[in-house]
Amino acid sequence: MVTVKLKPLDEIIRSLSGFKRVYIIGCQLGSARCKNGGLREAYRIAGYLELKGFKVVGVKSPGGTCVLERLDHSAKSLLKEAQESAEVILSLACGAGTQLIAENVSIPVKTGVTTLFIGSEREGRYFEEYCIACGDCVISDTGGICPVARCPKSLVNGPCGGAIAGKCEVDPNLPCIWYKIAQRMEQIGELKKLKNPVPPKDYSLSVYPRKLILEE
Amino acid sequence: MSFREKVVSGRFVITAEVAPPRGTDWKPVIKAIEPLKGKVDAFNVTDCQRSMVRMAPLPMAKLLLDSGYEPVLQLTCRDKNRIALQSELMGAYALGIENVCLMTGDFTTLGDQPDAKPVFDLDSVQLIETASRLNRGQLLNGKELRGGVDLFIGAVYNPFAGPEILQIWKLEKKVKAGARFIQTQPIYDIRLAEEVSRLIYSLGAVPIVGILPIKSLKMANFMKRLNPTSVPDSLIRGLESSLDPAAYGWEFALDVARACLDFSGGIHFMLVGKVQELANFIDSVKEQRDYNDKF
Repeated sequence: MVTVKLKPLDEIIRSLSGFKRVYIIGCQLGSARCKNGGLREAYRIAGYLELKGFKVVGVKSPGGTCVLERLDHSAKSLLKEAQESAEVILSLACGAGTQLIAENVSIPVKTGVTTLFIGSEREGRYFEEYCIACGDCVISDTGGICPVARCPKSLVNGPCGGAIAGKCEVDPNLPCIWYKIAQRMEQIGELKKLKNPVPPKDYSLSVYPRKLILEE
Repeated sequence: MSFREKVVSGRFVITAEVAPPRGTDWKPVIKAIEPLKGKVDAFNVTDCQRSMVRMAPLPMAKLLLDSGYEPVLQLTCRDKNRIALQSELMGAYALGIENVCLMTGDFTTLGDQPDAKPVFDLDSVQLIETASRLNRGQLLNGKELRGGVDLFIGAVYNPFAGPEILQIWKLEKKVKAGARFIQTQPIYDIRLAEEVSRLIYSLGAVPIVGILPIKSLKMANFMKRLNPTSVPDSLIRGLESSLDPAAYGWEFALDVARACLDFSGGIHFMLVGKVQELANFIDSVKEQRDYNDKF
């Protein structure tokens, strides 16, 4: 999922200064999963904004704010409703969702979150970056564990000399992912594959903005 | 005899580290190593070591060369992509610098400008392979060079990092990619220095054992924090009970250095200060009749 983090309240309020009527749009996918921009947080922010003198005219959290059909459908349009009733939209969706809103309304759109990463979730509270969408996936060769995303140096030929006692040199709280890769490769009987040199990565595949177009 | 000729012909080499200045004051840096002239075979010029901004290593290496010292240009993957790295290697060779030591490099956030964007386009193995390709007259993309290079390529090895098997395989990849000499992290244990030297020889490269004299208990504890298994307890105990810990640490490191003559291809001094003492040590070692033929 895409994880987000709510911005500090005073920063959100600053970005809304000069406006009165606010419509808040969250997202029930990533933002809600990581409890930083779903319906619950949207209502909490709405309460704060009301206390600060704003008029919150609507609070919604679609199941996928980055999907245009969920925001703007011929039968029912959240965007139409928002721009007819508010002066400004506060989005708690990820960067993709927020931009999609902004591209399709005439009033200003402000974000109440910062988009963090594509990650995994455990126990409802641990979110970790697992993928940097490099466009050239290598995990079939590394035991299903990604060294590109989970090693700060994105090393593909094995650990660096800073991997001491299982820890990463960048952050002593971070285990070196190459220990996990070695363990996993051994478990599945593929350890020796790590002897093979890996050529330089094709970074042209991660040049943004990327597109995916499906055939009709 | 050049550093390369010595390494290739199996003579014992002595290298030392030179850090470019933070600023442009390069003359005192060269002045400081004057006592080592003619004693140290080559000086590794560090590439913004520990991610601290310093003068670029390439001009510093050229200044050393012009002052009569043979440099080993260190290059990391931290700040330059493959375009910049290839161009830097060609530039170095054109300026007469043929020894390079290629490594991944410390991470950006460990340094004094942690907000910098890390690059790491290539890793150490790929950078060594890139340099070897340049030696074969080609860029990484296969395009022919107009005027080639003949770089003498080295790499680094940390025997205290893990997982052990992956570190050894990575070392093997570096040697297969074209590394001819391997400079190690500081080692304080003679048996380990011998083991590591044997490993590097067995892979087909020449080992140069890292020597970093410990100046105080504080420094030992710092090293221990960085690398818990690298500082033996006997060294810690000695520093604790010694009246002059700096002298004790110095002698301890020199014992390892002296022992390396028996089983390694060279020693690499990573030190600041004590230049005259190092010069005296090198003289004393070279005067020993038994070792004379090694240098």
